[in-house]
Amino acid sequence: MPEFLETRVDKFTFKVALDRFYNAEGVWAKPEGDHIRIGLSDFIQQRSGDVAFAEVKPVGTRLAFGEEIAVIETIKVNISLGSPVSGEIAEVNPAMASAPETINQDPYGEGWLALVKASNWESDRSRLMDAHAYYERMKGQAEEETRS
Amino acid sequence: MMTPIRPRVVIVPCSGIGKTYGSVSREAAYEVVENLRPDEAQLVALSLLVMGDDASRAEVTTTPAVTIDGCKLACATKMVQECGGTVARDFAVLDMYRRYRQYKPQGIAELNEGGLQLARALAEEIATVVDNISPRPFAGEGEGGEG
Repeated sequence: MPEFLETRVDKFTFKVALDRFYNAEGVWAKPEGDHIRIGLSDFIQQRSGDVAFAEVKPVGTRLAFGEEIAVIETIKVNISLGSPVSGEIAEVNPAMASAPETINQDPYGEGWLALVKASNWESDRSRLMDAHAYYERMKGQAEEETRS
Repeated sequence: MMTPIRPRVVIVPCSGIGKTYGSVSREAAYEVVENLRPDEAQLVALSLLVMGDDASRAEVTTTPAVTIDGCKLACATKMVQECGGTVARDFAVLDMYRRYRQYKPQGIAELNEGGLQLARALAEEIATVVDNISPRPFAGEGEGGEG
């Protein structure tokens, strides 16, 4: 079980898992050997609302850093998600087709999107935020949205 | 000659104001009680249950309820249960949309065509549930046919 940084903004509590990296969009990347597991941060899933559909690019798709890996349609918005890692999609979470609400229920666990075989992880990682940096960014975004 | 007593069904939709899925739930409820099954179904406002309105609470405790929830908080379903009522069937707008993706709901005060179509599809399903709880009249009813 990952440990979390946690903040409360207005009536919402947001968690940031410590054991992974994040891009600016709030997509997380968790190294697992030479593969990287990818998913959505708790803040992004809460802000976006209940997920109606999650369409992840199929296994075998080659991605550059930042290239679209998935499109999420929620009750509020459609979001195109950029990949936080370059490489080839090795596995797609089957729950995304049958139960995309898993993203809302367990964003850092069962709600993962895909597993990517990384092609240049060391370089990609240098372009991501660690959990503490993302936490500060997320907290600022959440507070700003509460004010507006 | 005895007049058969038909059970009625109460429809309790989401009260999410300013939410697209809440609007779909209410539009579907209106379609059922005003057009599809006006004699068998009646609307109970969730807000009245929340406020503790005696007449509304009495309706849901004596009549099977069909609830329509606009989001995962499921306020309509939870409130009926909290009042001691029986939820015969709970619908979630999100689940309906997953089955009718061609009807993407948008708009709030005024739903787009997709939202209205989704509401109609939902209303049709609710009407079927109402029929199963409270059978539609058939020829000869009222002359002792159904009793």
